Amino acid sequence: MSAIHIRLEAAQNALHTLVKQPLATLMTIFALAIVLALPVGLFAALNNLQQLLGQWRDQAQISLFLHQDATEQDVQQLQKQLQSSTGVVNVRYVGKSAALQEFEKNAGMTAAIKILGENPLPASFIVELNPLSESPAALQAQIQSWARLPGVASAQSDLHWVARLQAILALGKTAVWILAIMLAVGAILVMGNTIRLHIAQRRDEIDIASLVGATRAFIRRPFLYQGLIQGAIAGILAWIIIAITIAILQGPVDRLATLYGTRFELLGLTGLEGLILIAISAILGWLGSRLAVGQHLDHTFS
Amino acid sequence: MIEFINVTKHYPGRHHVLRELNLKLPTGQMALLTGPSGAGKSTLLKLLLRLEDVSHGTLMVNGVDVSTLKKRHIPAYRRRIGVVFQDHKLLMDRDVFSNVALTLQVSGMHAKLIQNRVRAALEKVGLGNRIHNMPATLSGGEQQRVGIARAIVHTPEILLADEPTGNLDGSLSTEILDMFRDFHQHGTTVLVATHDQTQVERLGLPVFHLEQGMLQNSQEKSA
Repeated sequence: MSAIHIRLEAAQNALHTLVKQPLATLMTIFALAIVLALPVGLFAALNNLQQLLGQWRDQAQISLFLHQDATEQDVQQLQKQLQSSTGVVNVRYVGKSAALQEFEKNAGMTAAIKILGENPLPASFIVELNPLSESPAALQAQIQSWARLPGVASAQSDLHWVARLQAILALGKTAVWILAIMLAVGAILVMGNTIRLHIAQRRDEIDIASLVGATRAFIRRPFLYQGLIQGAIAGILAWIIIAITIAILQGPVDRLATLYGTRFELLGLTGLEGLILIAISAILGWLGSRLAVGQHLDHTFS
Repeated sequence: MIEFINVTKHYPGRHHVLRELNLKLPTGQMALLTGPSGAGKSTLLKLLLRLEDVSHGTLMVNGVDVSTLKKRHIPAYRRRIGVVFQDHKLLMDRDVFSNVALTLQVSGMHAKLIQNRVRAALEKVGLGNRIHNMPATLSGGEQQRVGIARAIVHTPEILLADEPTGNLDGSLSTEILDMFRDFHQHGTTVLVATHDQTQVERLGLPVFHLEQGMLQNSQEKSA
C-alpha cells in the first residue's frame, strides 16, 4: 500500500472516530475555538485601537518657526523636504500675515499688535505626523533634524503623549502575547486530554496492533489526524466567532463614532490572518495529540 | 530456529521467573511447552515476542538476536511471528474480517490483497462463512479460530500460542491443536504452551517442561 493510501486510511479512521462521537467531538472543538478566539480577538481589538489612534494624527502636530529673513526659495525647499519625510501626513504653511490673523482671532490682542507697528510673528510650517509611524525617540530625532534645516528658527512639539500611547500599546501587545501563549498551552492540554480519552477507549486495539507488529507511526497516525482535524475545525470556528463579534460590535461603534463626528470601521481578520489562525489551531491540535499518544506509546513500547 | 542460550529473566525485587534456560527449536519444528502455572511458560513466550526483555543470556530467533534487538526493529520482528492467546484478544467492536485484517494492515498491504488473504485465512480455519460476523456472535471455539486466522494470515515464520485451548472443551481442543499441527506441516515453526496433559500425550510432539523457571526434561532440550 502506498504511503498516501496509508495516510488516507488513517485520516478516514480518524474522521470515523470523530463522527462516531459527535457530542464529545463538538464539545472539544467548541472548547478549543473559545480558547483560540480569546487571544485572537484581543489581537483584533489591539489592531482596531491602533487604527483608531492613527486617526488622531492632528494631535501630533509640530510647529516649525522660520527665521524672519527666510526667503520664498527656503520655504519651497523646506516644504518639499518635510513632505518627503517618514510619517508625515500633512504639511501646512502659515505665512506671517496668516499667523497674525490667527493670533488676532484667537488671542484678541489686536490693539497690542497695532502698537508694535510691524508684524512680529514668524512664518511657520505645521507638520502633522502619524504618531505611531516611528518610536518616540525616532520622532524626536526627526524633529531635531528639522530644527537644524536652513531657514528654520525653532521647532515646537509635545510628543510626551505619543510616548505614553506607544508604551500603553506595547504593554497591551505583551499582555496579549502572554495570554496567547498561556491559552495555546491550554489548547494543547484540552486536545491532549481528549486524545487520552480516545486512547483509553482504544487501548485494546493499540495493544493488539502492537502485538501484531504495528509501528509507533501506524498507531499514532489516526490520533494525530484526529487532533489535526479538530484543531483546524476549531480554528475555523474561532474565526467565525471573531467575525460575528465584530459584526455585533460594529453597530454600537458606529453610534459612538457619530457622536464624535467621525466614522470608524472595525477590522476583523484578513483572509491570510484567518488561514494562519486555522493553521496554528491545527498545529496545536496535532501537538496535543502527539504529546498524549507519545506518552502512551512510550509505555506500550517500553 | 529458536534458541535460548543461558537465558534468565527476573523482575526487580522478585524471584527469577526463568533461570539459565537453554533450549533449541529448529526451523519448521513443532513443540509443546508444558508446566504448572507460574512455571514461566508465558514469560518465555513474552521474551520471544519481545514483550519483555531478557535479563541475562542470549535469545536467537531465525538469526535475530532478540535479546539485543533495538526498539525500532521490534515491530518488523513481530511481523515475522504469529501469536494466539488463551483469551483470543479480539476487538469486540470489529467484525471478523477487520480483526484478521489488522495483521496485514500494520504491514501496509494493499486493501485488495488484504481481502484475498483474509478470506483465505478464514477458509483455512473453517470460518469462511462468518467473515462479517461480530466476535460476540461466535462461540468460544470460533473466536479462537478467528485468533488463529489473525496469527497465520501473514504466513509467519514462527507461530506461538499461549494456552490456546485453555477455555475450550476436549473435542474443540483437539481441533485447534490439530490446526497448529497442519501449519507446522506446511513449514511453520510452532511452539504451543499448554497444560493439557491429554493433548500432550495424544500429539506425541517434543515437549519442553518448565518447573520454577527451569527446564526439567534435559533429554528433550532440543526438539
